[in-house]
Amino acid sequence: MRGACFSGGMSARVTAGGRANVRRAWFWVCAGIAWGGAMGWGSAGGDGAAVTNSVGMRLVLVPAGEFRMGSAAGEDGRHEDEMRHVVRLTRGFRIGAMEVTQRQWEAVMGVQSPGKVKGLDLPVTGVGWADAVRFCSKLSEKEGHRYRLPTEAEWEMACRAGSDGAFSGGAADEVAWHVGNSGEAPHPVGGLRPNAWGLHDMHGNAMEWCADWYAERLGREATVDPAGPAQGEARVARGGSFRHTARAARSAARQAITPSYQYDHVGFRVVMECE
Amino acid sequence: MKDNADAGGGVSVGRRGFISGVAGLAAFNIMRPAVALGTEQNSKIELGMIGCGGRGTWIASLFNENGPYQFVACADYFPARAAKFGEKFSIPEDRRFSTMSGAKRLLEGKLDAVVIESPPFLHPEHAADSVAAGKHVFVAKPIAVDVPGCLAFAEAGKRATEKGLVLLVDFQARANPLFREAAKRVQNGDIGKLVCGEAFNHAGGAGPVDVDDSDPEFRLQRWGRYRAMSGDFITEQAVHALDMATWFVDCEPLEAEGRGGRKARLGKGDNYDHFSVRYVFPDDVLLTFSGTQVTRAMPGGYEIAARWFGSRGFVDTLYNGPVSIRGDMPYRGGETGNLYTEGAVANIRDFADLVRAREASNPTVAPSVRSTLVTILGRMAAYRRSAVTWKQMMEEKERLDPGLKGLKA
Repeated sequence: MRGACFSGGMSARVTAGGRANVRRAWFWVCAGIAWGGAMGWGSAGGDGAAVTNSVGMRLVLVPAGEFRMGSAAGEDGRHEDEMRHVVRLTRGFRIGAMEVTQRQWEAVMGVQSPGKVKGLDLPVTGVGWADAVRFCSKLSEKEGHRYRLPTEAEWEMACRAGSDGAFSGGAADEVAWHVGNSGEAPHPVGGLRPNAWGLHDMHGNAMEWCADWYAERLGREATVDPAGPAQGEARVARGGSFRHTARAARSAARQAITPSYQYDHVGFRVVMECE
Repeated sequence: MKDNADAGGGVSVGRRGFISGVAGLAAFNIMRPAVALGTEQNSKIELGMIGCGGRGTWIASLFNENGPYQFVACADYFPARAAKFGEKFSIPEDRRFSTMSGAKRLLEGKLDAVVIESPPFLHPEHAADSVAAGKHVFVAKPIAVDVPGCLAFAEAGKRATEKGLVLLVDFQARANPLFREAAKRVQNGDIGKLVCGEAFNHAGGAGPVDVDDSDPEFRLQRWGRYRAMSGDFITEQAVHALDMATWFVDCEPLEAEGRGGRKARLGKGDNYDHFSVRYVFPDDVLLTFSGTQVTRAMPGGYEIAARWFGSRGFVDTLYNGPVSIRGDMPYRGGETGNLYTEGAVANIRDFADLVRAREASNPTVAPSVRSTLVTILGRMAAYRRSAVTWKQMMEEKERLDPGLKGLKA
């Protein structure tokens, strides 16, 4: 897909005043997604089909397809809430190649990022779930595209990038800032090796809010475009953090967090929907 | 607690050596049992009860009330118990078995699964026999009373997975969402680096019985008083607290040092009534354990707890009370409620789902084996009044002799 559908010029840079360009690029992106979907799994997206938006976020294409969500029974560090099952996503989407940075937060929200540890290239942290949703709304208004938090299934599909094990793109220390190598502090985004689709820090650094309410049980049966339960007490966060053990950063590891909590280790990345 | 009563249920089965025979069978033999009517959707899962004492009868009612189950056979060493259970659950007379070979004869019949509520020293043998017979297994804690029993149970678990059979160990705390969430958070680092912890398990003990106990049937009927049948109360009861504690730290201790004795306990039996053990985990992480069966005056009858202190907070868990994490990354948690019943019910419901889905990864086996071994290490240290290392325990493979001579085959 990468070669056929997205020739070199397709990595569109979107500027603040360039909505027309974004829309033009979008036609090709959607066409690519539809084609990728028809191709089925294996027609991976990735960095070659990336666009960059008005605040400098690189957004990587994840085509529609199927993957195995959850972990294998024998995976080291596995928890009961990672029941493995097949998930099909019928729509492709774009996801940030990096966690949202403090620089991007300030550019969109017009205020300083709330986390205690400051640094423009550090992930924004200290944000509750609603804060992250508000950021997506403002970015959507700014650009005329629909930004939102990834669903848990979208997050895991993007994290796995076609892989099936505990970590995607390398060993824990190669891809994740976790408590064993981080100095218990956040690191500038993109400092470690990306996964096969060019996504950085899916494992470790900031833990990332997802859209879904948390439910302990994932389905055992195949599900299509799952979006979590209709209500709940905690939202899902994924990917572990610089404060957590490497096991919390595994592709399948899930965390439930009270949505109002504004932890200094929790941030997010965005999804840009295909129009 | 109810499962502390003397009315444990006698039971069956031949010599313990049978287990090692099973262990020698070919590995990686992925062999699904023939699909019996009972495992198809919309039909009952046909169960056999092994151990028809107090807990067996109690949990059988929970099975009937909480899933697509039907008891079709039962076995207990004592014919009167098997008969009473059979009457209560409408089991045909020719499927009620007694004496030590009763469980084996039960397993020869058409069944989907067995529920093992026999005295703990028989659990490894009953589990291995059941798996060998192609039955799914639901088994009470503890899974064994000594190291050879633990190894045999672990092997039965491996065999079950190879054969596509479910083997579920009924630890109530592990079925509870609050405990699961707290354990996950601690393992993930929410309380930072573990420094030290404490666990305790206090309950009343069995009342005095001052009669001649040289009759092996007397002892089998009151197995909860005897260390070789129960594993002593540190294994039989306090495995709850030590399972919770080892779940959080998620590794085995390097050594234990302990004391204990029998000061307030009257009547027949050789179980201690108190244990005090200090466990040392890697990185010098310490766990202090205290267990008693001294007085029945405990509020609510018993108190079981595990608590760990970490560099960023502490986790505080009660089996029958609040579960929470305080510190930099707090977890509000909640009250476990009637975990004794609700945990068993959750496991009973899970069991039906797992059997129907043929989900035979059996994740409860390894942690149950580990926490039972942790209790055995503490017991050895207390009996010897010294430090015992994990390595030493595993090399010694000490076997407890239940003294079955004189029982009906």
